Amino acid sequence: MASQATTEHTLAPGEIAKPNTAWIWKIFGVLVAITAIEFVFVFLMHPSTLRNSIFIGLTILKAFFIVAEFMHLKHETKGLIWTIMVPVTLLVWLLIALITEGSFMGEVLQNMFK
Amino acid sequence: MSQPTTLQPLAASATLDAPRTGNWDGGNEPFKASYGKLMMWFFLLSDAFTFAAFLTTYGMIRHKHEVFTGEAKDFVFSTRWWPIPDHVFNAFPGMGEANVPLGFVALMTMILILSSVTMVLAVEAGHRMDKADVQKWLLWTILFGATFLASQAWEWGHFINGHAEPTIMADGTKFFGANLQMNQYGPVLFADLFFFITGFHGTHVFSGVCLLVWCFIATTNGTFEKRGHYEMIEKIGLYWHFVDLVWVFVFTFFYLV
Repeated sequence: MASQATTEHTLAPGEIAKPNTAWIWKIFGVLVAITAIEFVFVFLMHPSTLRNSIFIGLTILKAFFIVAEFMHLKHETKGLIWTIMVPVTLLVWLLIALITEGSFMGEVLQNMFK
Repeated sequence: MSQPTTLQPLAASATLDAPRTGNWDGGNEPFKASYGKLMMWFFLLSDAFTFAAFLTTYGMIRHKHEVFTGEAKDFVFSTRWWPIPDHVFNAFPGMGEANVPLGFVALMTMILILSSVTMVLAVEAGHRMDKADVQKWLLWTILFGATFLASQAWEWGHFINGHAEPTIMADGTKFFGANLQMNQYGPVLFADLFFFITGFHGTHVFSGVCLLVWCFIATTNGTFEKRGHYEMIEKIGLYWHFVDLVWVFVFTFFYLV
């Protein structure tokens, strides 16, 4: 946590430090705002590849804030970040590859008897 | 006289003058994270594989099916094409047949994000060894988690019982709602994927609530206070955030796109 406050005075035994929660509520605000933007696009835009790309982009942005800040990954060592991110990137590749495959299968099946 | 041992050829026996202190030479934590936390990360990575398999299956099957190309207001449920989500998920508890597209799922999303926030607050309180605050935020997280589960139960109930306008079957009979063999919303696999993906996620939320209840009991008994740290809350917190993260993706791919 970059924003972790270092308390100036040393704590007396049994004394509890003051909460430092401003950054948590800030990220909550960001997540709510992104979700609200998604809903604006649901109702104001016709379904299209562009709209879907916007949704996926905003989802990845939300995921970034949850993983980086709430799960603290941004503040871990580089080795741990790479260990988690490389396999996940391969999963995204798998997703894109099989969606493309699905489109092809659909095309073949729907045009089979035409 | 004999040479000092350090200058002897290495062949005889390899002795170290000083312990190795490199990052990967042992005796330290190369990732600067405890064993338990690392294992939680690796478990979550493997769990991400499972959910990615589900979402990949969903994406592939959906793209295999026909898309409804007309105006959204002319849309009718048919097994020919994939349903438009805001026509399926448009009911709100206590509002009867009113059309509230995606309203309830928006509320569920907010509840889950809020539970994630209260979870971070519990972890933060743990860092400060503030037992009362940890208890307070854990209780909030349990409350939001349980509310989410109850909402999902309602959502499932509504999905299974069906909408007012049924599907007219080929033999003229009417069919309401959904099961694993047929549904009124669209292709069979639409309902199957709904049950499997949201069901698997709901199971994760349920496990998370159980773990949080256990954490709350242990905190109240002073287990972590005696241990000197609240790392268990952090580990359960990682799991809880992951469940929230999965919902973010389920929400996009099942309800928005």
